[in-house]
Order: sequence, then structure tokens, then C-alpha cells
Amino acid sequence: MSEDAMHGMNVTIRIHRFTPKAEPDRARRHSSSPFGGKARGGSPFGSSPSRRRIRGKHFTQDYAIIAQPGQTVLDCLLDIKRNIDPTLAFRYSCGHGICGSDAVSINGTPTLLCTAKIEDYAKSESSQNGDASAMANKGFRLTESAENAVNNNISSTNSRNSNGSDNAGESNGSLTNQSSPSSLAVIEIAPLPGFPVLRDLIVDIDQMMNQIKKLEPYLKADGKLATTKDGKIDMFEYLQKPEELKRYELLSNCISCGVCEGSCPVYAGGEAFIGPAALIAASRFINDSRDTATDERLDAIATSDGITACQSVRACSRECPRGIDVGEEMWQLTERVKNRQA
Amino acid sequence: MSPEQVEDIYDAVIIGAGAAGLSAALGILRSDEVKGMKAEGHDPKLLVISKLQALRSHTGSAEGGIAASLGNIEHDDWRWHYYDTVKGGDWLSDQDAVKILAQYAPQTVVNLERSGVAFSRTEDGHIAQRKFGGHTKDYGKAPVRRAAYAADRIGHQILYALWQQCIGAGVQFAEEWYVTDLVLNDAKDKACGVVAFDTHTGKTHAIAARNVLMATGGAGRLFHTTSNSWDLTGDGMALALKAGLQLEDSEFVQFHPTGLAHTGILLSEASRGEGGILRNADGEAFMARYAPEHKDLAARDVVSRSIVAEVDAGRGVADPKDPNGPKDCVWLDMTGIDKAHMQEVLPQVVETIHDYAGLDPSKDWVAVKPTAHYTMGGIPITTEGQVYHWQDGKRHIVDSLYAAGECSCVSVHGANRLGGNSLLDACLFGTRAGEAMAQRMANEENDTGNADEQSSDAQNQSATQLAADKRKESIKTLLASSKDDNVTAETSDSDRNAAASSEQPASKDDSSSLESTTESNTDAAKDNPYQLLADLGTTMEHAVAVRCDADSIAKAQQTITDELLPRAKALRTHSETTAFNQELTAIWEVNNLIELAQAMLNASAARHESRGAFARTDFPQRDDKHFLTHSMADANGNIGWQPVHIVDMPPKSRAY
Repeated sequence: MSEDAMHGMNVTIRIHRFTPKAEPDRARRHSSSPFGGKARGGSPFGSSPSRRRIRGKHFTQDYAIIAQPGQTVLDCLLDIKRNIDPTLAFRYSCGHGICGSDAVSINGTPTLLCTAKIEDYAKSESSQNGDASAMANKGFRLTESAENAVNNNISSTNSRNSNGSDNAGESNGSLTNQSSPSSLAVIEIAPLPGFPVLRDLIVDIDQMMNQIKKLEPYLKADGKLATTKDGKIDMFEYLQKPEELKRYELLSNCISCGVCEGSCPVYAGGEAFIGPAALIAASRFINDSRDTATDERLDAIATSDGITACQSVRACSRECPRGIDVGEEMWQLTERVKNRQA
Repeated sequence: MSPEQVEDIYDAVIIGAGAAGLSAALGILRSDEVKGMKAEGHDPKLLVISKLQALRSHTGSAEGGIAASLGNIEHDDWRWHYYDTVKGGDWLSDQDAVKILAQYAPQTVVNLERSGVAFSRTEDGHIAQRKFGGHTKDYGKAPVRRAAYAADRIGHQILYALWQQCIGAGVQFAEEWYVTDLVLNDAKDKACGVVAFDTHTGKTHAIAARNVLMATGGAGRLFHTTSNSWDLTGDGMALALKAGLQLEDSEFVQFHPTGLAHTGILLSEASRGEGGILRNADGEAFMARYAPEHKDLAARDVVSRSIVAEVDAGRGVADPKDPNGPKDCVWLDMTGIDKAHMQEVLPQVVETIHDYAGLDPSKDWVAVKPTAHYTMGGIPITTEGQVYHWQDGKRHIVDSLYAAGECSCVSVHGANRLGGNSLLDACLFGTRAGEAMAQRMANEENDTGNADEQSSDAQNQSATQLAADKRKESIKTLLASSKDDNVTAETSDSDRNAAASSEQPASKDDSSSLESTTESNTDAAKDNPYQLLADLGTTMEHAVAVRCDADSIAKAQQTITDELLPRAKALRTHSETTAFNQELTAIWEVNNLIELAQAMLNASAARHESRGAFARTDFPQRDDKHFLTHSMADANGNIGWQPVHIVDMPPKSRAY
């Protein structure tokens, strides 16, 4: 373990935030209260926010903290919530990569907050300049101009504190906003690409879930019971050999986090595409020996916005937290649909 | 997902979308009664409300297995499972309930398989089974392979299969809605519905219902070190307390022996089932001293206490990540397991150790410590899932209110749960509760149109509406005194980044008149529910984790009354935007946890014995003469006692 492990490192967590505008009926409720005067939302345009574009304020905010290299980014955000800014909004639940709720973009890479480690995303200036392997690392490399921007942001954070208008960093000794430039590292966190932003790092995943549901992601088996040679009921469960299980087991581990979708230039790019997550869910059943609806399932994905829309970029494979080779799976589906038509 | 519109009245509302809630939904829809209703053109209105998106439920984190005497690998018998569960629970289990659990376990597991669960398989295609702590053959003679598993992701598989079946059946969800109130009638003998806060829109809804099921899961976040997700805040249990109901056996909390040090993340019991061995600082495989027969596969509470005893005797080790920290861990040695086999059957364990400890368990010993894992107690229910109130030596059923899963207590786990029995409990009694609700719906349907039924609906609607109106006022208070430095900060930040931002910043006048209306108490303004949650966790951990005594309990009670409770009441949000105001939900959660902590401490103080997972150092012996009985704690500090149902097995000593 490196020297840093014992000391912690100064890290600036830069977050792309968004505060939705209050809805008008809330303003009405407030008008009867003594605090009604401060309520925003008298706007006549706020009444029917579109699904894709919610009105509100976009801004970035920097939080200067001391972090252990082995800490997860989620740990750091929870520290920020506890000690600096309880208003910061992001989804999280299990904290160890199983629930799939905390997909975001870190330094431009879609991934989970709870599996991303500080050491992988924050590189101090010296190690960046000296270490060629930093190139291979998915960590964010600062350009000179970005560095300046960082320093500007830090100083503005400090000036805000000295005005006493923000409690950042004041409430806990382990947090600081006095970052020394020589060990400065920035981790930039934004909402998952390709999904409408609802607040801060929280995005609307309804579209993805609807796409998954559209492909009827549930076992359609024949309902028959296994029998012995003389026709007696032998076993109530469906039998499945280990090698049959292997064909879809990994696919069944998908946690619907949306990382593959945020990585896909077609999906996140806004093209009409049902997306890799829905196709993985479909493939899970296509490859399940118990399922009897294979033909219907292949029909359902052989559409212009289905598997046909996949451009085989394979960016979807790179960050899957369950280790599913999504791109290869997409390719297999493409082949399968093609061969069937031939 | 949110419902397009909220119905005037629901036939059934289910709170929670984990294994218990989803099993109940399927139990309703697959019942003959509801199939009959549907055939007659009456589609029951059903809503599943969850504070998380359904697929994020903590059921998904369960790793090891689900117990059932399928006998797929070696001969097994449900009677042995029955015995093991009663013995594991240190004879505090209600034996009528355990009998149902053991008898219907195989059917439950087979139904899960037929719902799509990708169970691991034997060579001939049957559901594979593995050994699990406390599960034995021939009444304790030797370990038996009883836990059906799916590698080490059984929870994920079950959660997904149940959700998938619900999607297939067209179940409607209200996701990321937080239930703030359970509404009962004035006589407290009937549920009217719930109040739910839609975190997306910030709207508060009155949800009137003819049947309500609570399936909100456990409360591991009471403790600092826990395997539970951040959302396991005992909401359902606290709602029951606040509604005037009781909790049964709330003092019994299971600490899983092998939490990955300093994260609390669980390393499945399967890691020991497959051959992992616990070792102390001297490298000694110490479990052989504490449980000569079953060693590392003794029941969880036995292993947890053994670890703590080793640590107390100075044979603990420090977490290598914090070498100068307390020596409160022991080693988990998995190096004896064949590497390929380990990857095959314990991929999740290997991954967790690699990702969160940076170690390779095929080569390295791993530091572990007990982590808060499961609440054996909860909302008291009958074997049909009906919630009841214990009074005057009798169970008084709360009509139309049901509960299932970890938030409930049918008392199958008694004083200590066996591994593999929690998913079973949730799925089996969840399904039974659903079936009971379906039956009640069918009976009600026969009454539809009569005056009684209509007036009952109207009563439910007005009661829930009243509660919702009150809740709206309270939300206003929580939001209205927001200390808005944050808004100021946001606005100035927004200005600073205006060039890069695609939207113009909103008007800045929103905080102009604020200072005068805000409380001047800056400490209160700085406090937040996340800090309070951490402080509560530390308090509870010191007081009652793994063991306790009168002093430790009294101290925690004092801290809560003097410090934590006043802080909880003073909490206000730091943002006034209602949409996705996580701090608002966190304030409710921490208040719920404190409510629950008080009941738990009261029950702990009243039980003057040690039994199962509950260990009082000042009363180290089990005392069947006085305490073969369930504690029934309410929100006012009263403790009632309900005798244990002993059917087939009189208490014996519990030696492993």
C-alpha cells in the first residue's frame, strides 16, 4: 500500500448539480404560510414540465475533502452529506455493488459510486506527470487549463466560507478546503449520461425500466412437471443441467444499473434504441433452457430500434459492474437474429 | 414508476417491494379467490408502495441460500429442519409457526424455481444444496446440505424472479414513495390505509385501502457496523409503534459473525460452509473450543460471541487497513478452499474481499468482525400474516392489517435465526399473507354494494385524508424553516458557472426575507439527520451490540432521551425544494430508528436472561422459568409478555 494510504489525500469532488424548479401548486400552498413570500415558482411556465427536460438550475459545486485512496467515492459523498452539505442528492442503498441504484458518471466514465475507488479516479499532480501508466488508468488527467479552473474553484469555495455564507468544511476536522496545489486532485461526478436529470445526480430511469418490461422479462415455461419413466411425477422443479444454467447465469446477474446504457453512444446519444439493458434481460430468457418463448423473444428484438440499432461499439462491456460482456452478448443476439432470417 | 393516478380506495396496499412484499402480491394474484374475481370481471386494485425502486430492495443482497428439506443431495426431513430451527432459536420460536415453515419450505423453493430463479444445479439438473450453520440431519447429529443456492447470489435471483413475475402479472408500483403514516381507525382494531410521500413530486397522498400489508424489512441501521443497506431503517416497525401497536421480541438482533472488517459488508456464511475457518491472533482455529461438534458452522450468535470472547481475551487482530486501530477482528482463513472451486461457488465473497479489502482470499487471511444483520423481532403476526395486539393474555387481531418478512415476527426465528431461514420466512409467510388477503377480498366482494361496505370505505378514506392533511402541515414545518445558506451558495455557484451552464440561474430573491424567520440556534441549523444517524448507530453499538447489561442499556436510554431525541425533533431540511429532498426522508427515517431503539432498549432492559442472540452479561443464563415468553413492547414503554407456543419440543439445552 502506498504512503498515501496512511495519510489520506486532498481531493476536490466536483459535482454537476441540478435543482428542479418548484411546482406551482407548491407555491400556492406556501402563499398561505407566513413564509409564502420566499416561495419561488410563480412562473406560468412551470405547470407542465416535459418528461425529458425538467426546468431548474444547473450548477457545479466543489467539495474539498481528505480521502483515503482505498475509500469508495460513495463513502466520500456520504461524508459530504454528513459533514458539509446535507442537500446533495444521489441514490445509494446497499453500498457494495448489488442494488444497482448508484450509477453516475465519474470523470466521464459511467460506473457505480460504491465500486469506484478514490485511488482509481483521483491522481495527484506528481503521480500524473511522472507515471506513464496513468494514461492506461481510467483516472482523469488534468490538462493545464483544467488545473487553473480547479484552483479558481477552490479559491471561490474558500472565499464563500470566509463570508460565512456556507458551512462547507467548518463542521468537521477531517474535512478541509485548504488544498495544497501540489497534491491537488479532482474527481468530477455527473449524472449518468443518456438519462433525464431529476435532481443533482438522480436521474429518471423509467424509460429504461419500460424498455426492459416491453420485452416481457419473465420466465415463460411449459408448466409441465417432470415424470419418471412410468409416468409418475418425479420432481416438481424444472430440471436444468449445470451446462444449461451456464448459458444464461451471468446474464441473470444484471442489476439494471444502466451503466451499459450510459456508455452506449447510440443509447446515450439519444437515438431510437431499446438499449443494452433491455436486450440483456431478453437474452437472459432466450438462453434459459426452461423458457419456451424463444421465437417470440427473437421476433421482439429484431426491430429497427431493437438489436438492429446496435452499432457494435462495445463500450457497454467496459464498465459492467457484474462483469457481463454486454457487447459480445449484443453481437451474439445480432448473429442469432440474422441466422434465423437467413 | 409511479401510478398514473391514485385510486379512491385500494383492495390491497403493500408497503415494501422485497421478497415478502412481492411474494404477497403474487400470493394475492395467484390465489383461486382473486382468479375467480378476475373471471367475473372484477380486477382487484392492488398497489405496491416502496421507498426504493423495487429492484433495489435489500433482498437482493442475500447471498447464501434458502433452506428447505428438498433432499436433493442427501436424505433430509422437514422434521429435522423444524427441530434445527427451534433449537437455533433457543426455544423462543412459536413451534406451530416453525412447523409450517419447515413443512412448506420445499414447496416454496420449488415455486421460486418455477418462477424463474436461476438456482445452481446438481449434475442431474436438480436444485443444488449446500451446508449451512445449524442445519443438521437426524436432530443435530451432523451437518446436512439443506440450503438451496444460486452461487452466492440467491437474494438477487429471488428478488428479480419475483419482480419479473409481478411485471408479468401487471402489478402496479409506486416506487420511491415513502410511507409516513400507518392509519388505523380510532378503536385501533382496523387499518384504513397509509399516507405516502411521493419523493419525485413532493406530493403527499392519502392511500385508503381495504387491506394493508407491511413488508418494510429490517433495521440494521440502528447499529454502526451493519451488513444492511442504508435503507434498512425499521420504518414499518416504527410506523406500527406510532400507530399504537406493539413489537414482539425486538431485543433480539442477530449479529452475523463475518462482516468484512470496518465496512460491515457481509461475507456469506457459505464462506464457512465451503470450508473457511476462523482463526485468532495466534492462528488458532478457536471455534473448536467453543463448539467442538460444529466448529465454524455453529449458529451465528454462538460464533459472534466466540469472536467477541477471543477479542476480549486479547487474541483479536487489527484490520490491516487500520493497523493501529482496535484489535477487534479475527481472521477468516479461506486458503484451504480450492481456488477454482472458490471462484465457482463463492464469486461474490471473492469479489467483495478483493474490492473492499484489496485481498485474495485464496492466499490471504481476511479480517472479519460481527456485523448487525437481522432483527428476529418485529410486528407480531399470526401464521396467516394478520397483525395483532397482545392484551389481557389474548391476541386481538387488527382487522385488515397484515405484515410479512423481516419487519414482522411470526416467531419462527425465536431468539436467533438460522441462515437460509430469512428468505424462506419472507417468501413463505409473504405468500400466506397474500393468500389471506385474497380470501378477505373475496369475502368483502360478496358484500360490495351493501351499506356496511360503503360506509367502511368512506371511513377509511376520511381517516387517511385526515392523516395526510396533518402530514402535509408537518412537512411544511420541516421545510419552512430551512436554513438557506445552501440556496445562497447554490445561487452564487450558479452565477459563477453561468457561462458553462445551459440554463440561466433562477431568480435570487428567494432567500431575501429568510434570515429573520430562521431560528437563531445555529447548532440546530448545522445538525442533520445523517450525523444523527451516525451518532445513534454508535450509541446502540456500544449499548447492545452482541451483548449488553443493565448499565449499558440505561446509558443508551439516557443518551437517547437527553441528546438524540431532542436533536431529532429539532431537525429541519437545508433545502426547501420538495422534489427528491432526501434529507426530508432521512429525517423521518432517523426519527423512526429512534422510536424503534427506545422500544428495543426497553425490551432489552426487561429481559433478565441470556437467550440466543440476546446476551446479558449480568444475567448470563437462560431462564425458562421466567422468560420462555415473548416481549411485547409498545411506544409508551410498556412491556407485555406472551407465552411461547411449545407444541412438540420442550426446551432443552442448546449446545453445538
